Amino acid sequence: MSAWGTAAGAFVGTLVLTTVLRAASEFRLTRMDLPFLLGTAVTANRPRAKAIGYLMHFANGQMFAFVYYAVFVAIGHAGWWLGAVFGLVHGLFAGTALVNTLLPLVHPRMGSPLTSAPDVALLEPPGFLMRNYGPSTPLVTVLAHVAYGSIVGGFTTLNPD
Amino acid sequence: MTAIRAGGHVRLRDYAVIGDGRSAALVAADGSVDWLGLPDLDSPSLFAAVLDPARGGRFLLEPEEPCTVARRYLPGTNVLETTFTTGRGTARVTDALTLDGGGALGPMRELQRRLDGVAGTVPMRWSVQPRFGYGARRPRFTSRGGVPVVTAGADALAVRAWDAGEPRCDGGAISGRLDLCQGRRALLAMPFAHQEPLVLPTRAECDARLERTIAVWRGWAAERRFGGMWRDAVLRSALALKLLIFAPSGAIAAAATCSLPEDVGGERNWDYRFCWVRDSVFTLDALLRLGCSAEADAFFWWLMHATQLTHPRLRVLYRLDGGARAPERTLPLAGYRGSRPVRAGNAAGAQLQLDTYGELLQTGWLYAGATGRLDADIARRLAELADLVCTAWRRPDSGIWEVRSAPLHFTQSKMMCWIALDRAIDLSGRGLIPDRGAARWRTARDQVRDFVETRCFSADRRCYTRSADSPELDAAVLLGLLHGYAPPGDPRMRATVDAIGRELRHGPYVARYSGEDGLAGTEGAFLACSFWLAECLARTGRLGEAVALMDELVGLANDVGLYSEEIDPDTGAFLGNLPQGLSHLALISAACAIGSAAGEAGR
Repeated sequence: MSAWGTAAGAFVGTLVLTTVLRAASEFRLTRMDLPFLLGTAVTANRPRAKAIGYLMHFANGQMFAFVYYAVFVAIGHAGWWLGAVFGLVHGLFAGTALVNTLLPLVHPRMGSPLTSAPDVALLEPPGFLMRNYGPSTPLVTVLAHVAYGSIVGGFTTLNPD
Repeated sequence: MTAIRAGGHVRLRDYAVIGDGRSAALVAADGSVDWLGLPDLDSPSLFAAVLDPARGGRFLLEPEEPCTVARRYLPGTNVLETTFTTGRGTARVTDALTLDGGGALGPMRELQRRLDGVAGTVPMRWSVQPRFGYGARRPRFTSRGGVPVVTAGADALAVRAWDAGEPRCDGGAISGRLDLCQGRRALLAMPFAHQEPLVLPTRAECDARLERTIAVWRGWAAERRFGGMWRDAVLRSALALKLLIFAPSGAIAAAATCSLPEDVGGERNWDYRFCWVRDSVFTLDALLRLGCSAEADAFFWWLMHATQLTHPRLRVLYRLDGGARAPERTLPLAGYRGSRPVRAGNAAGAQLQLDTYGELLQTGWLYAGATGRLDADIARRLAELADLVCTAWRRPDSGIWEVRSAPLHFTQSKMMCWIALDRAIDLSGRGLIPDRGAARWRTARDQVRDFVETRCFSADRRCYTRSADSPELDAAVLLGLLHGYAPPGDPRMRATVDAIGRELRHGPYVARYSGEDGLAGTEGAFLACSFWLAECLARTGRLGEAVALMDELVGLANDVGLYSEEIDPDTGAFLGNLPQGLSHLALISAACAIGSAAGEAGR
């Protein structure tokens, strides 16, 4: 197993994940935009939010990949398929808890079920499985994370020698 | 006033509304909460006695003796105060859906009803009769540490009573009674939870939350900018609109209720707990005029997000969570005074209404004017909307009034298509949206105007008609003047204002249109049309007529300053859902325009 492989896999996996979500958006399957959601936690300026959001998104990609790596090391095994399983779990966690429940509570511009007058949210909350961003969002998100996970898992097994 | 409940119903005019920016409740003048959907404005109802006194459920709180009633909102708030006077004394009830915040752990949602003895002794009774899911889900009554709790699936509520009599559970209700003496204070609180454990607050926490709720509303109202004529009516309208703004997303609901009838006993019963693109221009304009920049930003962001999935096509309406689907279904409720079917969801969402394209581009144009910028994604999408209008304008549609008869070439729809293209051309000229389609937009804009001026103008009647080659009139054509299809000095538009005033107006009341709409029965006068006419009169220089009409219209509000969608011209009865956002938006717009015209005339 190679930590450098994990880092490279994280970069490529995040690139693929982002591309899948962006393509799904262009095909009107979802309004999910992870860099935008992350960036607006820092600024309300939309163009700036997207730029900052992409940096945060790729940093998150590295962070999650090394969580995968830690588990790979702990169980002594890594690979494309195992990475895909991790991605599946990661995607389900993102849809049910991470983005759905945790993000609205820490995001200063996102609504939550507790947001009340006179406050008003700039960003609508994602809802369970992020379905507020379109009924196909859960499927697209999980598939994108499966792709990310399998790439991270596969790159981790690459031997630099 | 005396609240009269006949057959389980009070007049729609007798309802006030309270809310917290997430949900809203209707409180009848006799003290009964007859409508409340939880946890959100568009959730299935917990109380729906307004639609079915037997099955709907309610929160009754009333004197046990005959009484007279006086109501008001606490100044600058959405907290309702109802004063009951009996032969033996006076009692005051303060109702609020309390607001979140303040640091303490509070319930997810909470209805508070505070009772104060003002004079003498008033025997009072109360009864909480929850009926979850529009009365379809069976409630389960239990107790947690002596506190009555009612559950149904993922929903739960508790009833906390302090000095309000011993609660007892029987017959599907939690009830109590008390003799409210002068100087005595009692409190009823109903915390609610959805998919989380109930929070059972203490009395001190409830008191603090109610006081904070009053203070927060007052703080919000104090920041509103308006100093012209009808200031109180405008401020109340602003507060009513704030209740319709869904705080978690920034969307604004057309009304707080569903299926209150436009024709009592008839089938014109619709669910208005959605956001209509049609209302977006008035909404953004009103928010900007009143200095609600946070709400304006949130609404525009939400609008552009919600319309993204269906882009470049627009749905007529979107759910408050941004979803596009709002399937219509019939609820097994008796309806307000037998007005059936009772509908939840709205089938108009799937109609083609071309005016929405003009509304959205005009809204973007207003937003760009206020902020001086549009981000690249939104700019591209606005340009693509204009591209679509270049071909779509030729299609017949269902029009702004969502007729359920065959689609027609409605004049107002075409005028709004012209506005869509005109605004796109202006935005591209200022470099705010891409200009690659500008030549096409100009050509299409000229074609639309040619169509309107040749097919939608009657030389015989000397006015714009309801649709192409039709003899009928439509008050929505007034929007052509208000949104900028034609300037106030345009003789054709001025003649149309006169014709609508002559043929659709009766006193202060203005009917939406003449001719059929594919539905049985009739309807009342549409209040927004009356305000539009008042604004058009002011803009075309008839200031005295405008002020007189506006004075009459302001007098048509109910005792707490609210408007429904329509009024029966014969009886003055409210009809349709309430409080109706479009009526209040039109009031604000008219008051501002008339005030501005009066200011110019005075200079």
